[in-house]
Amino acid sequence: MDFKEKDKMSIQNLIMNLHSFWARQGCYIAPSYDLEVGAGTMTPDTFFRVLDDRPWRVAYVQPSRRPTDGRYGENPHRVQKHFQYQVIIKPSFPDIQQIYIDSLTSLGIPLQDHDLRFDEDNWESPTIGAWGVGWQVLLDGLEITQFTYFQQAGGIDLFPIPVELTYGLERLEMFLEGKDNMYDLWWSDDVSYGDLRLSEEKQFSEYSFNQADTDLLKKSFQMNKKEAQSLIDKNLILPAYDICLKCSHYFNLLDSRGAISVTERMKLIFEIRKLVSQIARKYRSKEDVS
Amino acid sequence: MQFLLEINTEEMPKSHIETALRQLKDSLTEELKLRDIRVSQVRTYGTCRRLVVVSDFSPRQKDKEELLIGPPKSVSLTEDGSFTPAAKGFAKSQKIKLSELEFIKTEKGEYVGLKKVLKGLPTQDILKQILPKIISNLSFPKMMRWSDSPLRFSRPIKNILCLFNQKTLPFTIGGINSSHFSSGHRIHFPRKIKVRSFSEYKKALKKNKVIIDQSARKKMILQQIEKKLSPLNATLFSDEKLLDKLVFDVEHPHVFLGSFPAEYLKLPLEILSTAMREGQNLFSVVQGKKQLPYFIGVADAYRDNKALIRKGNERVLKARLEDARFFWKQDIKSSLSDKSKSLDRIIFQEKLGNYDEKTKRLEKIVSYIADKLEAKKEKKSLLQAASLCKADLLTEMVREFSDLQGRVGGLYAKEEGKPIPVWKAIYEHYQPLSLEDPSPSQLTGAILSIADKLDSTIGVLGIGIEVTGSRDPFGLRRNAQGLCKIILEKRYDFSFSRLLDKVLVIYGDRFLKTKNEIKENSLQFFKNRMQHIFEKQGYRYDLIHAALGSGIDNLLFSHLRLKALDQLKDSPQFEPMILIAKRVNNILRDHPRYKVNEEFFSEKEERDLFTSFSIIEDNALPLIAKGDFSRAQKIVFRIRSVINIFFDNVLVMVEEKRIRRNRLALLQAISALLIQIADYSQIVVTGSDKN
Repeated sequence: MDFKEKDKMSIQNLIMNLHSFWARQGCYIAPSYDLEVGAGTMTPDTFFRVLDDRPWRVAYVQPSRRPTDGRYGENPHRVQKHFQYQVIIKPSFPDIQQIYIDSLTSLGIPLQDHDLRFDEDNWESPTIGAWGVGWQVLLDGLEITQFTYFQQAGGIDLFPIPVELTYGLERLEMFLEGKDNMYDLWWSDDVSYGDLRLSEEKQFSEYSFNQADTDLLKKSFQMNKKEAQSLIDKNLILPAYDICLKCSHYFNLLDSRGAISVTERMKLIFEIRKLVSQIARKYRSKEDVS
Repeated sequence: MQFLLEINTEEMPKSHIETALRQLKDSLTEELKLRDIRVSQVRTYGTCRRLVVVSDFSPRQKDKEELLIGPPKSVSLTEDGSFTPAAKGFAKSQKIKLSELEFIKTEKGEYVGLKKVLKGLPTQDILKQILPKIISNLSFPKMMRWSDSPLRFSRPIKNILCLFNQKTLPFTIGGINSSHFSSGHRIHFPRKIKVRSFSEYKKALKKNKVIIDQSARKKMILQQIEKKLSPLNATLFSDEKLLDKLVFDVEHPHVFLGSFPAEYLKLPLEILSTAMREGQNLFSVVQGKKQLPYFIGVADAYRDNKALIRKGNERVLKARLEDARFFWKQDIKSSLSDKSKSLDRIIFQEKLGNYDEKTKRLEKIVSYIADKLEAKKEKKSLLQAASLCKADLLTEMVREFSDLQGRVGGLYAKEEGKPIPVWKAIYEHYQPLSLEDPSPSQLTGAILSIADKLDSTIGVLGIGIEVTGSRDPFGLRRNAQGLCKIILEKRYDFSFSRLLDKVLVIYGDRFLKTKNEIKENSLQFFKNRMQHIFEKQGYRYDLIHAALGSGIDNLLFSHLRLKALDQLKDSPQFEPMILIAKRVNNILRDHPRYKVNEEFFSEKEERDLFTSFSIIEDNALPLIAKGDFSRAQKIVFRIRSVINIFFDNVLVMVEEKRIRRNRLALLQAISALLIQIADYSQIVVTGSDKN
């Protein structure tokens, strides 16, 4: 389905256009992962697939939760949950930059009238031991995509090298609709972003900053950490990884509650990372139960 | 013949472009010169996506003449003029015909032989060989891999254009074949362009909206900025670093002028320009010192007729400024003093405690330094600045713009009405960030900066973290250099060694190592930093070692020592005195300390030496105490003639213990005086190190 002038701009159309474009590039259009994650990079469709050596092309929408970014629905461009469009191409196409540019053109953006820049921005996630070299893509000064060549994940050197394109759907849609307020965006023809998400933002901000039970969170973190280790020891690495993702989310909530000092914060990140490294190694050496 | 190379990549950081061009120029020149190919006029150009080298090389290697020498003529020819077996044997071994043999005149006489001409290889054959190696050997601060390519490079390579003498120079690297094609501007004219020469290349690229020459792009940017700003009677708020980055970030600069709502001008200039620079690469616009509600941006385009670029940037900036204003409003709801009550929630370093503890240490350290510098009236402001200087770490503003720490604290303190010695001290206490950055302008700021940097340095060294050139996560080297720079610039005269002691006492018992160990490590660390500073100032390396060899108890004095040595280094008395000092050192090696007893002098020369030395010492010591090493040195050098007479007439290492030890004691006393001025044994003398 290509963008037509008479179609109203909406997040729904944006997603469908991106799906259509990347499916044409040979991507498997995956469903969103059904756990709380901070970024599309952390989901199994990215994390595990970049670790082995078989080719992989996937594209999916991923709701991403970052409790500390909550603003009670009062800030027009900052939310505790936003939607990423995640693409992984492994090995990266030689002309992937041009293909990415073509994806923007396919959304109807006349790049000739705009300033598109690839601005140096190397990305890293200490929790999953991943880092890469790349850029933030700026469109007239607005960051719309993180473009990264992954070099390591789980502390392991990757080969072949995957390219990760993470579009910020709300940002991109704000550009397309020419709006300053995220909540004014259209998700579908007659449902706005605010209709869908304003209450959620208000309540979750209150929860993350003021109400979440920190004792429960700390206990949950510790108990799940043990469970993850025991599953790793039994070579059930896929369920173990899910549990690490849960730990990571509990950590984010403890952070937004202001319940962890910077020392503890380094300690907890390190603990998750230790588990994820083991998982990555076992996945690589095919030590899992399957 | 003209050589043109363009390596087309994905966007490279500016530092990578510069080092790549430098390496390409150097390796090409070197490799070709090594192979006797003439290289002239290597020019390099770059954009974020292209590395360009253009030059002129001779078409082939210089022919080499090889001289094959055989037996002398005298034994090569028989009486009847035919060749002897010796000559025939030589010709056979060299695989040449007898008819090719020549007679070659050498210094030793005439010999039979052959002048062989090794024809030089065509340059293009050599280039085909060396170019893949040169390119794949380019090294960058960070290398990356992509796809399934075996290459490691700064960023993925997409295309290689290589011409020699107007024809494609074919070679392959990482699966990419060189060709005679380049391409135009990635968005506006992405088409393939065929070229045969540099001038054609430059013109074609310009037509396709790529300006290959970085100095031309810089000129364009500055001209366009001038054009936009002169109607407003305004100028750019200078940001050389940003300008240099943008010169490389765009292949075709298009400057645009945007505006933002004037209400945001209530925000301080530092916050406005940081919000503009970070993430959007925009310049602030000023009229003298007054900030105007405009900004300048540089797009990679050649027009903006629909004003979409400008409007887009305005929208993004407004959102950023709105955030900044929100942060400011939130932050000023509570005072820095109130905020500082939560400093215990922020860890400074895992083993070094939180920022509340650091603040308390800073208060003690600045108090000590203020006493040593006799800064009584500034003490109150100093203590207040110290107690508040880290509170801005708890602000929303610093959380968003971490580069602004210190300055934001100062601005909030100013907003609260704190006096200049307090708010400016907080504002400037991270300065200098580098040796080129200015030191704090106030005495309070200077002392606070020294205290903060020293507290961090001692702490990190104390817990045993190793600092090397490539691993310095806390920026300790920069910290220590900044500290030294302040002390030297402001000429602060106090015992650095005792300050270290004091800081160690203030830290208490949290370190595993002993205080002495940490102090020694720290002194060595600071010695290295002082060496670096002096090297950058251009002093001779051996003079630096000599000056630092006296110890860095007083940093200012180290500098004064160095200056004294530097002043005298070319005078005729300098080197003879160095030789004497070295001779004394050699004699004294491995001997324990002895004390002089005047009764045990037996020779006139040693009594004379002792008398002269005593007078010299009496005159020099007060000068040394004041740091007047220049004059002290001149006085001490007067010992030269009497010590020479001593050496000429007196044997130090005599049998009799009492006399021998006494003579050693005298030399030790002299050496002890010398070392207070400099470790002269470190100084290199021209000619030999004869005694």
